[in-house]
Amino acid sequence: MDIMIKIFYAIISIIVATVYGLTLGGIVRKIYARAHGRFGPPVWQPFLDIIKTHGKRVSISHGIMFYLGPVFRFAGGLGTYLFIPVIFGSAIFSNFSIAGDLLLVMYFIFFGQLGMALGAGEGGHPYSPIGIARGLSQMTSFEVPFALSVIAIAIQYNTLNITTIVAAQQGGITNWTLFTNPLAVIAAMISLLGMNMHSPFSIVLAPQEIPIGPPIEMNSSFLATLQTNRGLFAAAKLVLFMNLYFGGATNLLIMVIKTFLIYMFSVFVGAAFPRFRPEQSMRFFLKWPTIIGIVAIIFIAYF
Amino acid sequence: MVNPIYIIILSLLAGFLLSIFDKGGRKLSLTVFYSVLTFNVFVIADWFYRFAILGVSTLTINTAGFSAPLSINLQLGMLESFVLLFANLAGLLSAIYLIKKFKESKISSLILYLILIMGVNGLVMTRDLFNMFVFLEILSISTFALTILTKNKKSLSAGFKYMIAGGVASTFFLLGVIFVYYFSGNLNLEFISSNDFTNYGLIGVFLLAIGIFIELKPFPANGWALDVYESVNSGIVAIIAVVNSAAIIFVLYKILPLLPTVYLSVFTGMGIVTYIFSNLVGIRQSNPKRLLGYSSVAQMGLLAASLFYTTKLGVSQNISFLIAGGIFINHFIAKALLFWIAGIVKKNNIKDWSVLRNNIPLLILFGISLLALSGLPPFPGFWAKWEMVKVFVGSKYYIGLSAILVGSLLEAFYLFRWFGYTTKNKLNKETMEQVQFSQIFPIIVFVLILFFTSFWIMTNVYSLNYFNYLPLVAIFGMFLISFLRSKVKAIISIAAVVLYGYFLFPLGMSIQLLFGIIFIIGSGIVIISTINRKNTGKGFYGFLLMMIFGMGNLIIAESFLAFFINWEFMTIAAYLLILRGKRAKIPAIVFITFSLAGAYFILAGFGYMPNIANNGAIINTIGTIKIPLMAMILMIIGFLVKSASFGAHIWIPGAYAEAEDDVTPFFSSMFSKTGIFGIILLAISFIKQTPDFDLFYWLGWLGAISAIVGAFLATFQEDVKKLMAYSSMSQLGYIIVSISLLSHLGWISGLYLTLNHFMFKAMIFIAIAGVIYRTGTRQMYKMGGLIKKMPLSFITVLIGIIAISGVPPLSGFGSKWLLYNSLIEKGWFLQAGVFFFASAVSFLYLYRMIHSIFLGQMKYEHQNIKESPIWYLIPQVIFIIGIMAISMYPNLIIQPLNTIVGNYFNSSIVIDGYNVTSSLGYWNGNMVMYVTMGVFAVPLILLLLINGRTQTVKQFNIVYAAERPESPQTTHFAHNMFSHYYKALGGLTKPRIQSFWNYVSEGTNSLAGLFRQIYSGNGQTYILHIILYIVAIYFIMGV
Repeated sequence: MDIMIKIFYAIISIIVATVYGLTLGGIVRKIYARAHGRFGPPVWQPFLDIIKTHGKRVSISHGIMFYLGPVFRFAGGLGTYLFIPVIFGSAIFSNFSIAGDLLLVMYFIFFGQLGMALGAGEGGHPYSPIGIARGLSQMTSFEVPFALSVIAIAIQYNTLNITTIVAAQQGGITNWTLFTNPLAVIAAMISLLGMNMHSPFSIVLAPQEIPIGPPIEMNSSFLATLQTNRGLFAAAKLVLFMNLYFGGATNLLIMVIKTFLIYMFSVFVGAAFPRFRPEQSMRFFLKWPTIIGIVAIIFIAYF
Repeated sequence: MVNPIYIIILSLLAGFLLSIFDKGGRKLSLTVFYSVLTFNVFVIADWFYRFAILGVSTLTINTAGFSAPLSINLQLGMLESFVLLFANLAGLLSAIYLIKKFKESKISSLILYLILIMGVNGLVMTRDLFNMFVFLEILSISTFALTILTKNKKSLSAGFKYMIAGGVASTFFLLGVIFVYYFSGNLNLEFISSNDFTNYGLIGVFLLAIGIFIELKPFPANGWALDVYESVNSGIVAIIAVVNSAAIIFVLYKILPLLPTVYLSVFTGMGIVTYIFSNLVGIRQSNPKRLLGYSSVAQMGLLAASLFYTTKLGVSQNISFLIAGGIFINHFIAKALLFWIAGIVKKNNIKDWSVLRNNIPLLILFGISLLALSGLPPFPGFWAKWEMVKVFVGSKYYIGLSAILVGSLLEAFYLFRWFGYTTKNKLNKETMEQVQFSQIFPIIVFVLILFFTSFWIMTNVYSLNYFNYLPLVAIFGMFLISFLRSKVKAIISIAAVVLYGYFLFPLGMSIQLLFGIIFIIGSGIVIISTINRKNTGKGFYGFLLMMIFGMGNLIIAESFLAFFINWEFMTIAAYLLILRGKRAKIPAIVFITFSLAGAYFILAGFGYMPNIANNGAIINTIGTIKIPLMAMILMIIGFLVKSASFGAHIWIPGAYAEAEDDVTPFFSSMFSKTGIFGIILLAISFIKQTPDFDLFYWLGWLGAISAIVGAFLATFQEDVKKLMAYSSMSQLGYIIVSISLLSHLGWISGLYLTLNHFMFKAMIFIAIAGVIYRTGTRQMYKMGGLIKKMPLSFITVLIGIIAISGVPPLSGFGSKWLLYNSLIEKGWFLQAGVFFFASAVSFLYLYRMIHSIFLGQMKYEHQNIKESPIWYLIPQVIFIIGIMAISMYPNLIIQPLNTIVGNYFNSSIVIDGYNVTSSLGYWNGNMVMYVTMGVFAVPLILLLLINGRTQTVKQFNIVYAAERPESPQTTHFAHNMFSHYYKALGGLTKPRIQSFWNYVSEGTNSLAGLFRQIYSGNGQTYILHIILYIVAIYFIMGV
């Protein structure tokens, strides 16, 4: 395929995902507000935020790595998204998934995190590394059940190719991983709670402890870049989960419905539970979800 | 050609006449004295030459005009002349050593000395049992008399105990002689055979043997002798420890043919018991001479055991000579040397020996003697041990084998500890006395003989290939040019490494090439960083080259023996390099103890190995033999110690951290790979020959545990080098697991990881060396914000950590992709889960390192520091280029690895352009690189375009909510960064392995203390020990 067309399609795909992700963020804020008994901001508030932060007259940088931090973060979001096929069978939304498989996506997530962590570190504000230390620690712990779940489905489908995994789930709801390998899905969904960092796992941005954590020194366009990425990255993660566990999507509407519902799981839990302390959060992931993940592997591999 | 009887006659005559000569002045008597000793040496040397080179047949000398058995006859053959040559030479040299003493002391000491030497000569040559008793008594009495020449209270009581005990032992011997005469009707060994003693007749042989055996000071009936070692003049002790013992062991050898097999077994056991327990007690000893005493006793036990055992088995004469002769020469020379040196240093506590650092040549000689005594190559004791292990394994005497290896380890431990004290303890102002030439001369002569013997064994007995000498040549060569400037030496070293690689390495696509690149080219690059040194001190490059050549030789070694000696060379060099660190006393001893323990496992493993065809490097021929399971297990343990796997990892933080900063890269990136190489060596045989037991499955689990435990240990370190040391442990766990997979993809990923780890660890450690060089600290929380001052080092570390963590697009992702694919393909799912976890945890320590050093707030004292010196930067840049190249074009490495591994397995991947496809998934490294560059460039350009108004502020320009932090010093978040994780892990963070090893070491120490209590210092008790010992042996043998 002509590489220019590929890039053109990728741009469309990215824009769609970003807009969708940001809107989803707006909806979530609304839901949280209602749960708290507030009216809440409008659904398009994330877009307003981005425009506002971009428009700031003053822009402060602490050095080159600080400058590159948001770039890394956004590149991480873009890359993660681009290595995932979004809609099964669609040329526009297949992205660059030809370059690698599920492992690439899993490790590309780290690309943005690491870069951002370095950029925030150069900011020199102690809240940044505190947040990062918490975030990385939590990441190591929720990564365990997620990895176990991924291994379980790799055993199940005998591949790590996301497109093949989606293909295997076509032809009816009972073919979804959710029903063919429920334990793996449970483990993965619990680790999704950690990935999405809603309560009770909101220890990284933890407003009352380390106000917004890692990006604390970020301002103006730097912050706007991060906010944009937040939309795209949320979409990428949800699409990944949809592909792996919920049968993927054959058109945009199904994609929107499925990812919205997946996201609502985090939102409901987040609205209902208070925040953990960091060590509680890590322990949580390393206990039950991990055991469920191990059982999933044993079950799928040996029975 | 002088009749050897003149040795005895002349000594005796001179002994009587000396007091008359002395009337004419001490000069005259001394001239006579030394002339006689020199005469003895020349006569014996002449005879030895005749027997050894000219092949003259054994000489029998009849006395009093009758032939035996009517008269006493003497015998001088190859063996006798060999022992006597050493004995007389040691006698002469020790006399030279004592010349100052002899000038001042009474004439009687000269006389006694001569008589003692005569006793030894007689004892070795005589064939008559009663005559033996006489010479034994002469020896005993002259020794006692010499002992009390040192005028102090201790030596008097020691000498008295010695005489009484010696008397008791001789009494038993005499009783034995009587019984032997009664049963066989003869006293001459030629006319007595073991057939003469049946039933109760055995009592005669028993008494004979036990009398001699007691003289060898077996544990625990040896308290009487140890006091002598401690309290008597060093020159005399050297004689007692080596010359007397040599004569007595030879007597034992002479009566061996009379002993029934059951005696041989029991005596072997008793010898081994002596070896292990004397060495055990030795670890509690701080008096150097008493320490050497324990070592002497132990060595005699070992020598006796080897004599008894080889005789019992009827091992071929060459082998038994090599074993007994090797132990004999080794002990003889090394012990004499150490006693002499102890006499020069004159410190009664090994902790005070740091004074020896005032005299570097003597320190070197001291080190050589210690290495020899520890039984390390190339010294004779090593070859003896090598053959002995084979014999023990061959005859399935496993208890003896393990006891000997444990004993050797204990001995090596206290000897190396002593060396550590000497080189590292605080040096007080005191200086050493001027060393007399007469004192240093004997030492030099013996060291030369030691080297000559070693060389002779290497060339004539084993005819080793020339490259096996290179580690030694390197150290001598660098010693000779040590006067040069250090930069010149560095360049010479690089040249030497390059030439070595060029001439010795096969360039075909093979595992040899891969490890050659790591060990040789890698070393060549890393040496560049040492050019920065202003002054290396002597020896540094010698040790370095010895280690590098040792590692290189492993790859091309053509026999198990060659492999093992290079393994030991490398270990010794590594120990000496670590010891150069400022606070390396404890880490170095921990390192050498673990390394030697590992080496003994490997040694035992080699004992089980079947013979291998001697055509080409063993890495290529190992597939033709099937390695027994036991050998496999033992050797894997040894290799795992080297790569610091879980369980044996406690040596790694200290050794890496306390070695000099520019030396650590060698350890982490190359030295630790030797363990991997060893495992690959075993695995090749394992895959070519059908195995009985899937050992590698369990090894895989061990690798997984090492990976996760290492990662967590690294996470909780404050010291940057310890952090990276544990990181190495973790990364080597990845390599071990992928090698253990024994599959095509597994090996590709293992070798890929090996190469990758080699590059990123080298560059990170060099970058860190630069940082430590500038900041003067290893504690990360004492740094911070250095990105502004050392941007290039930051970039190196950044690229390094991306490569470690496996974040795309750099080479680390390739290794992770290969690893997970191979694990899942093999069906090792849970292990794969552990590696996901470990790889996530690695982010924690990597971030901790880069943040604490380079990001955050800068300390006031670092405001003016500069970038790393250029010599540190050059190798970093080379490695960065390497990493970037294989990241961008993974085929550069995947293709060759596919070919190499294709020699062992059928290919399981398809390489199509840049796309690598396994049975599970695919990866296109080149495309990932481009996409990443693209997705990175887009936001960067956007940001640059729309954000032109950015102003840069200092790092400390930050604001808390309406409050400003006080100073950068207090604002850097670095110390105890992952405290919450520590808390979350709860009881898992207890250092159980450390506690285990502490328990082992303290237990050993306490046990030693317990056994030491039998040495009450009471002469009566000691005599009781002897009697009880004899009774016990009597019952055990069931005479």
